[in-house]
Amino acid sequence: MRYKSQRIAREYLLAALMLFLLQVVFGILNIAKYIWGYDPLLNVIPFNVSRAIHINLLVFWLLLALMGATYYMVADELKTEIYSAKLGRLQLGILLLSGVAAIVGYLFQWNFGMPFLEQPTVIKLAIVVAALIFLANIGLTMFKNHHTLTRMTATLLGGMVMLAVMFLFGIPFMDNLSTQYYYWWWVIHLWVEGAWELIAASLVGWALIKVTGVSRRRIEGWVFAEVCLVLLTGIIGTGHHYYWIGTPHYWLWWGAIFSAAEPIPILMMLVDTVRHMLGARTLRSVNTLGLAWLGASAFVHFMGAGVWGFGQTLPQINRWTHGTQITASHGHFAFWGAYGMLAIALMYVILPELSGRDTEHGGKVGFTAFVSLNFSMIFMVMALLIAGIIQVYFQRVMGMEYLQVQSYMRMWYAVVLVAGSIFFVGTVLVLSDLLRLSRPIRTAEHVSEPEPETVPGD
Amino acid sequence: MLWTHKILWIATLVSAFAFLGMTVDSLHRMSASTHADQLSAQVIEGKRVWQHYDCNDCHTILGIGAYYAPDVTKSYSQRGAPWLRKFLENPAAMYPSGRQMPNFHLSSAQIDSLVAYLGWVSRIDTNGWPPSPEGVTPAEDAQRAAGGELAGSKIYLAQGCNACHTIQGSGGTIAPDLTHVGSRRNKSWILAQINDPRRINAQSVMPSFAQLPESAKQQLVDYLDSLK
Repeated sequence: MRYKSQRIAREYLLAALMLFLLQVVFGILNIAKYIWGYDPLLNVIPFNVSRAIHINLLVFWLLLALMGATYYMVADELKTEIYSAKLGRLQLGILLLSGVAAIVGYLFQWNFGMPFLEQPTVIKLAIVVAALIFLANIGLTMFKNHHTLTRMTATLLGGMVMLAVMFLFGIPFMDNLSTQYYYWWWVIHLWVEGAWELIAASLVGWALIKVTGVSRRRIEGWVFAEVCLVLLTGIIGTGHHYYWIGTPHYWLWWGAIFSAAEPIPILMMLVDTVRHMLGARTLRSVNTLGLAWLGASAFVHFMGAGVWGFGQTLPQINRWTHGTQITASHGHFAFWGAYGMLAIALMYVILPELSGRDTEHGGKVGFTAFVSLNFSMIFMVMALLIAGIIQVYFQRVMGMEYLQVQSYMRMWYAVVLVAGSIFFVGTVLVLSDLLRLSRPIRTAEHVSEPEPETVPGD
Repeated sequence: MLWTHKILWIATLVSAFAFLGMTVDSLHRMSASTHADQLSAQVIEGKRVWQHYDCNDCHTILGIGAYYAPDVTKSYSQRGAPWLRKFLENPAAMYPSGRQMPNFHLSSAQIDSLVAYLGWVSRIDTNGWPPSPEGVTPAEDAQRAAGGELAGSKIYLAQGCNACHTIQGSGGTIAPDLTHVGSRRNKSWILAQINDPRRINAQSVMPSFAQLPESAKQQLVDYLDSLK
């Protein structure tokens, strides 16, 4: 750590980890409800409430992780303190309070009623305030240091501005359901396949420079090209959500062509990451777990978002798979690879730097967490995929009744529950490992001297 | 800036503007494809009820949402308003076993709005989604329709009878198996049971389907009677 204000990153990242654990708990509750018809919590936490909490926590912990990492990265890149650490803490406080209010509200049917955007309007406005504080804080830090602004930080800011602007389209109530969904996708799709990709690409670029020692010039050129291609394919690619929602027929063409190209930049990111990782072999000291999570994230991002997404993006296939568990399989795989794993990778890069702890040899707990989380996620995704294929065949092709087909899918839901339980264990392990790495070392415990570059203002 | 980067940047901006242009055009066309002129105050109120109870985090609508409960896009055209009303009054009456929907104790005004909303949704032009099942070939379809059996079996499925009853191993198990019901009961008995299930057995949990049109009841009776 070079700058005091970077400490707020630790608070963001640890809060994110706690919410991640809670998200997994609600995920297990959800799959249990799928398996057993009798639900003792039917009138306390019905499925819609536990699902709303599960997906809200997902967005929430990822946003906290990306924002925390942004605070750390911007200070690191621009070699400066953040404009105001106090504002950063105020923002975190508003976000956490809004999150608690939203979750408690859902239990009492205080709900806007659109998936992912269930937060009542008052809470959405509080989130907007927090986002404005964040943008002001990061923007002013950059403005004060505009002469040292890097392309990576500019891309990051661009992503954050896009994220905030797109959120606004999720706030109003629209009379027409099709119009409501038209704009709903501007939040959901243009977040995960637009704004978040910008943020992720710049944070990955920055983290790769840190853990592989690759030159900035090489990384920056690639990040720019990747980001442009993400937007070029992703913006009109929104059209693959406009096939069946009351929208014009031409989206079947535009959505198919552009979304089919969406895996290209993701593949570029994978190739790029692997190239740079190979370069890390020459380094004297390697942040093994940070590197492992970064590399695995690039691969699972490509598989989950690229391959799984491409698999059902063409209208001829999507017509049958739309609205089935195949989408759930894709959602879990893509979110985990593109953002969940990235968030954990960033934690493995940032938290030890903040605490000054050694990362060279990883540790048994960290590796067990890495293996159990990733393998159980693959099992979960496969089980959901098989359940989805059963659903498409019996329900869509054969025309069987929904609930009857669900009974055929039960065995695969049970596999999801087993995989989810292993995933829960992995989450506890990664949490404990990262908590250990984030504890600041007392001076007496110092193993090595701080590196010479830790002098502020160099 | 490299020339390749410049081209990429310009192409990206062009695609963003193209997307905005297509949005303007789409929204214009969508007022016809969604019958926006039929968005009455009751339909809009129905959308509010739908969102207030967060129905979309169990059900999909237009294929979007959670996968815990059936898609409701065509529920109005498949089930009809009376069935939907009855179900919303007390979901457990229609699906007494297995996965349950909570009883939200909706007022009759809320139920009317929600049903009107689902009616409006079922008329949205969805470019042919959801696709028709391919389990029945057009030839079989025509043949069975001529015999009248298909119409009755469609009503049987649309009314959700198979949630409780089984025919040839397919369906629920809490109510009597109907595979050979035609050899056990005559038409008038079946019709009486459909109209008032508690007439014969006061403890029956089966809801009455007396609200169905007489012609539909007759087709249903013919179908069940054919199961020998």
